[in-house]
Amino acid sequence: MIDVQGLSKHFTVRERGSLFAMKANTRTVTAVDNVSFTALDGEVTGLLGPNGAGKTTTLRMLSTLLTPDAGHAQIDGADLVRERDQVRQRLGVLGDAKGLYWRLTARENITYFGRLQGMSDVEAKRRADVLIDELGLHELSDRPTQGFSQGERMKVAIARALVHNPQTVLLDEPTNGLDIMSTRSMRELIRGLRAQGKCVLFSSHIMQEVAALCDRVVIINKGHAVFSGTPHEVLTATGLDSLEDAFVKLIGSEEGLFA
Amino acid sequence: MSAFSLSRLLLVARKELLDLLRDRKSIFWALFTVVISGPLVVGLLYFVGKTVSDRIEKVTAPIVNAQFAPDFVRFLERRGVKIDADPADYEARVKSGDLDAVLVVDPGYAESLGNGRSAKITLVTLSSRDGSAPIAGRLSRELRIYAEMIGNERMILRGIAPAVARPLQVEELDLATAEQRSARLLQVMSFYALFAGLMGAIAAALDVTAGERERQTLEPLLTTPVAVSELAIGKWLAVSMINLLAVTASLVGFLIALQVVPLGKLGLPFNFGVREFAGFMAVLVPFAFMVPAVLLAFGAAGKTAKEAQSSLSVGVSMVGLLPLISIFRQTKAPWWDTWVPVNGQYAVLSKVLRAETILRLDWLAMWAVPALICGIALYVFTQRLGDEKMLAGR
Repeated sequence: MIDVQGLSKHFTVRERGSLFAMKANTRTVTAVDNVSFTALDGEVTGLLGPNGAGKTTTLRMLSTLLTPDAGHAQIDGADLVRERDQVRQRLGVLGDAKGLYWRLTARENITYFGRLQGMSDVEAKRRADVLIDELGLHELSDRPTQGFSQGERMKVAIARALVHNPQTVLLDEPTNGLDIMSTRSMRELIRGLRAQGKCVLFSSHIMQEVAALCDRVVIINKGHAVFSGTPHEVLTATGLDSLEDAFVKLIGSEEGLFA
Repeated sequence: MSAFSLSRLLLVARKELLDLLRDRKSIFWALFTVVISGPLVVGLLYFVGKTVSDRIEKVTAPIVNAQFAPDFVRFLERRGVKIDADPADYEARVKSGDLDAVLVVDPGYAESLGNGRSAKITLVTLSSRDGSAPIAGRLSRELRIYAEMIGNERMILRGIAPAVARPLQVEELDLATAEQRSARLLQVMSFYALFAGLMGAIAAALDVTAGERERQTLEPLLTTPVAVSELAIGKWLAVSMINLLAVTASLVGFLIALQVVPLGKLGLPFNFGVREFAGFMAVLVPFAFMVPAVLLAFGAAGKTAKEAQSSLSVGVSMVGLLPLISIFRQTKAPWWDTWVPVNGQYAVLSKVLRAETILRLDWLAMWAVPALICGIALYVFTQRLGDEKMLAGR
């Protein structure tokens, strides 16, 4: 379970007026401003918003990569900042950066992360076998990941995130750049996680995906959470019958959709 | 904060080492450059040494107006110098390097010599060309000997002891041992050994810092319980291992080359045995750990490999430039000489080659300075690797 209360993050951007400007101007950009929501176990929660809305920053804070400037968040009761190690053990993260080690095989990539999560060598290998089996990576498992297709890489990256069987899973645009078949198997996987009683939080800007998968949506725009509830509640609140129209109405413009 | 875990650190080190060793091409070229430099330098030294001694032995003297000085020509021939009479266009040919040195006999030579006056012979050379110096030196020596010989004969004819004209007997006593003389030539070896300790680390340091960022593998790593300090030290150990491999390979390359190439025949009795090898390793092992730490600290400053590379070049040029202090210094080394990183290593390696006693203080410098630098560099590296600005500001 994820409980987020008033999470905020600012970045300081340094800008020089010209190449010869002596002093750089600093400008504060608010990426996430006072965002609160809850994601429950056994549910899929969608973090929905146009590009640049603050989805990735929110997920980076939840995955302990960034320290929040204000607010709190708890993963299964463990505080994000004070109990960071417990949080990291409970989380499986498929973040914005999904790179693999090219020269290591798929299996080595997965077991390395299992070992870093504190699993024994035997345990990590056994778990890698299970995941390779589930994701249908058999033929590729002992090849270096360099020549893998986008979809194959994504599968390895997700296996790596799930190697320690985390209770809470964060996925940042997990279907981005995937073809239809890979997208479908990713959705299957997310449903499978829900069936296992996991708490899944994933971000997306694709409406159909959210409609197809989510039990609950959190819509954010320009760093603010503008709505939180079930897809049905989104429709009732806006009085519209298409989720896409409701989304546009909630974020107050159409520009994000085409960005 | 998580408790520091040694097993996790070693896990990181092992993975990085495996990853680096799988990069066969980079490893091959790094090691190839380093291994080949030894035989290349020794071979070159032998070749140069042999050519010089050959040319001095089998020297040919082009003489203009040789017909005016038949006795001198005979003297030269007796001394093993071949004569090339009346070379055409000699000034242009000396300038072009076609001839090393030319003797020009003055047309009035015979008359002056017969009348007991100073006869004139001009030695035409080009001092700006180093390669001609040994030949010019040999000819000028032959001239001096001939002149002295005639002078002695003249004095004896007049009933004067030749020693009268030689009030001072100048002798030079060179205290340098044969090893030391040849070590001066082979100091190149110290330079290349240090060079190897840099070459071996560059590619690997780039790969585990900027490479990790570019491949977007750092972020997933930082969401696991691994501490940034464990990552930093693990990476450092892996790169240091590769570097150590490069240093050892370069020394083995030198060792083999010195066994094969008969430098002794050229009057360069060069000793590089177990003692020297051990001495070199004692200096180079801490060095091989220090360089990666510095390179990693610089490399982690870049968000891309290109940025990291330009920031790395600062570290690279330090290793290239600092030994120049020693190479060009004319006076005795000051006490702090061995405490300047890189320069100190160079100085002590040279001492090993010259079979000089190395002070305890020198050894302290060889280990304490790298240890201190490692500590600082690893701290900076850890800070930079875990800096959230580097993640956010993409």
